[in-house]
Amino acid sequence: MGLLRYTTYRFIQAIPVLIGISILTFILANLTPGDPVRLMVQGQEVTPEQIERIEAQYGLDRPLHERYLDYMAGLVQGDMGYSFHRNRSVSELIASRIGPTLLLILSAYVFALITSIPLGILAAKRRNEPFDHVSRIIALIGVSTPSFWIGIMLILIFAVQLGWLPSAGLVYPWWSPEVYGHSGYLEHFYQTIRYLLLPMVALGTLQMATLMRVERTQMIESLQGEYVKLARAYGVPERTILRKHAFQVAQLPIITIVGLNLSTALGGAVLTEFVFNINGLGRLFYEAIIQLDYQLIMGITMVIATMFVIGVIITDIAYAYIDPRVTYGEAE
Amino acid sequence: MANNQQLWARRRVLATGGAVSAATIAGCIGGNGDDDGNGDDEVADISEYQHDREEPDDEEAARQSELEFLQPADPDEDYDPVVSFDSYSMQVANLVFDGLYEWDDELNLEPKIADGMPEEEDDGETYFFDIQEGIEFHNGDEVTASDVAHSFTAPVEEETQNAATYGMIESAEPVDDYQLEVTLEHPYGPFTMSTMAVPVVPEAVRTEDTEAFNTDPVGSGPFQFAEFQPGEYVELERWDDYWDEPQPYVQRIRFEAAPDDANRVAQVLAGDTDVIDTVPATEWDEVDGADGVRIHGSRSPSYMYLAFNCNEGETTDPDVRRAVGHSFSMREFVNEHLGPAADPLSSPIPEVTNESGGWEFPMDEWEDEMPEYDPDQAQELLEGAGVPDDWEPRIIAPEGGPREQLAERIGSRLSEIGYGADVQGMSFATLVDTYNTGNVDDYEMYLLGWTGGPDPDVYYYNLFHESQAGVGQGHFYEGEGDFHDNILNARESADQDERRDLYVDVTEEIIEYLPVLPAYSEHNTMAAREEVKDLHAHPSVSYNPRIVSDYQNTWIDE
Repeated sequence: MGLLRYTTYRFIQAIPVLIGISILTFILANLTPGDPVRLMVQGQEVTPEQIERIEAQYGLDRPLHERYLDYMAGLVQGDMGYSFHRNRSVSELIASRIGPTLLLILSAYVFALITSIPLGILAAKRRNEPFDHVSRIIALIGVSTPSFWIGIMLILIFAVQLGWLPSAGLVYPWWSPEVYGHSGYLEHFYQTIRYLLLPMVALGTLQMATLMRVERTQMIESLQGEYVKLARAYGVPERTILRKHAFQVAQLPIITIVGLNLSTALGGAVLTEFVFNINGLGRLFYEAIIQLDYQLIMGITMVIATMFVIGVIITDIAYAYIDPRVTYGEAE
Repeated sequence: MANNQQLWARRRVLATGGAVSAATIAGCIGGNGDDDGNGDDEVADISEYQHDREEPDDEEAARQSELEFLQPADPDEDYDPVVSFDSYSMQVANLVFDGLYEWDDELNLEPKIADGMPEEEDDGETYFFDIQEGIEFHNGDEVTASDVAHSFTAPVEEETQNAATYGMIESAEPVDDYQLEVTLEHPYGPFTMSTMAVPVVPEAVRTEDTEAFNTDPVGSGPFQFAEFQPGEYVELERWDDYWDEPQPYVQRIRFEAAPDDANRVAQVLAGDTDVIDTVPATEWDEVDGADGVRIHGSRSPSYMYLAFNCNEGETTDPDVRRAVGHSFSMREFVNEHLGPAADPLSSPIPEVTNESGGWEFPMDEWEDEMPEYDPDQAQELLEGAGVPDDWEPRIIAPEGGPREQLAERIGSRLSEIGYGADVQGMSFATLVDTYNTGNVDDYEMYLLGWTGGPDPDVYYYNLFHESQAGVGQGHFYEGEGDFHDNILNARESADQDERRDLYVDVTEEIIEYLPVLPAYSEHNTMAAREEVKDLHAHPSVSYNPRIVSDYQNTWIDE
């Protein structure tokens, strides 16, 4: 199977997965205790008849399977429904909130990759030396500390105590500098980085810690590989061995982990957005759940699930592309 | 029957939800934290956080002020008062629109666009409003009686969520450009204290494109819409041709939402914002002790309560309900968990409602009649009522806030006298589905809150009248004698003395039979940088930050 066919095949495979997720989410959201209409009209004088009328207006009085089929029929036509809590279309709401989340996750990954790989290599090279021990402790703390707590600590230190960085919000690079009153693109870029720094570190620390340890292990393994020994025997300089031979092989698991950790990153983004007051998809998702806004819950879940599935597919394809030993599913 | 002042109530309930959810994690504030039931009974006074008026040395500099205000919840972003149904959209709209009448800082209704109080005819069924001449909307159109008529009738005609607020109005017809005749379907007591505070919208602009008006409104208030980024912020700018005095100092004001308590507090402490709405009780000490920040507070008409299931189970017996009242100390709880952020209550009427409405209810007497902490008496009453030894009532409350802590407190006190409690903190959505089933398996007690205004009807009708059983209340108290008739008669009377007497009877019965145990009233609070001058918290959350009125003109001293 060629790469193109494999890619197509993987995308087709994703369809039943997404349908399964949609069914599960629809059932779970609708079975969650609580009545969205009653929640919406809390505090207003309403009669049971009025509640029934509102339920009928939004189709909440119809059987679950009918509502689901209606929803899916709309979805394939690009209609993600209407958030009756917010008086806005779901796609409009998601479109307005997805940018900050993607920016946050992307920057967290960039932070994690540019820190974890050199640190992992260094730890491997200095195995069982003090640097390795320190990096192990850092990794342990990074893996076991929730991102929101790291976020709160960062705010307390760098925003409240030192006053170096802003405690909340984001400067969107896709908005023009005039919106923020910035003098030009240079200041705009600088402010974007300033605002991004703390949430990026908060969200990226877990990824960084995980990747650093994987990188270290892989590098140690690679450095002990036969081909490295052979290269050494041929007198290939150590720097070249590290860069050309050991390093390349060691990156394969990193790609897998980066792809699979996307769900963790999305989960972490929800809390990070809350702590840093970022108006992203995560915060919208949280609010939708609190308000039992079914349509919005469904819409965001589908978007997140699609992002995750695509992430996994890209990982698989990248893996297959980079490592010639990985086949595209043909019988051997 | 449609009715009433629920607009305000709804907005306030939402706001209170925000305020209450604000105090998310258990914490001891202002108390000694002991758990023996004999804590310090001294209740902290919110008036310490009401600051004196301030005047700028340099008025021109003050007029350069720009202010950022952080809201504790995302607004629905409906800025047309005909549509707007949440406090946080109304915080913005109340600066853009003037009311026909408005509440002052003690919740007294005072004329704004109206020229004096209305002339009343037909025993409170007809009102004639005079409108001041020469008031202009931001587009230059003059405010006329037909604009006010539209403001009264549009919510019902367009069936917006505010329809119930104005549902008792039969007609609103301009007599001429400056006089309006409003006829009610029947006399309606809360009309003059609440409904008349309608924000006035320009009929012509609004009806041209109601959807556009909702996110780009035109009013006659001291600020006009400048910029709106959905999901991000809304900015208002000073309206330099504002018709009323004083003219605002603040040039520009920006509203953003910051629902996370810790984040909101961090932002004001770090100087990243000027004012935050709602100081969480758990963060009170930190904010209060911080350099460069001041807390501003005001009592509010919020009312938290413990309700008993009078439909099924042991709590159908009034002695059992009284026993629960004797089993713990409400004052001690409020001191420990809410400190200066709340006052204990002894009736379904918050103090600020009593004062602002001029009701002169016998609050002190009612306080004396409330059950006090007396575990022996509680035990005696429970034994006398034949409550089984293994009684373990289910108490449900919104999770993660002071009300859940109160439920836990009651549970631990009951266990000290040989019983127990199954305390269940629930998400608000689940609670809304559970608290009014009347089923003993669902609950024997529940904790909730409500917020009204200067008229008691919103508390009594919604929370006690039999028509609301299973809808707005889940105690299913049947009442003795004329209990329910009194509530109904009080809302359908325009005679305040008569209404007062009816409410006194109703309250005394509540205190005697205790279908509900009043708990506490949570204050409205803001925290601001010290540079923010002449800021005063208003009892109604949707009037904060009021910025400009006859008792304040906020500016930033930089």
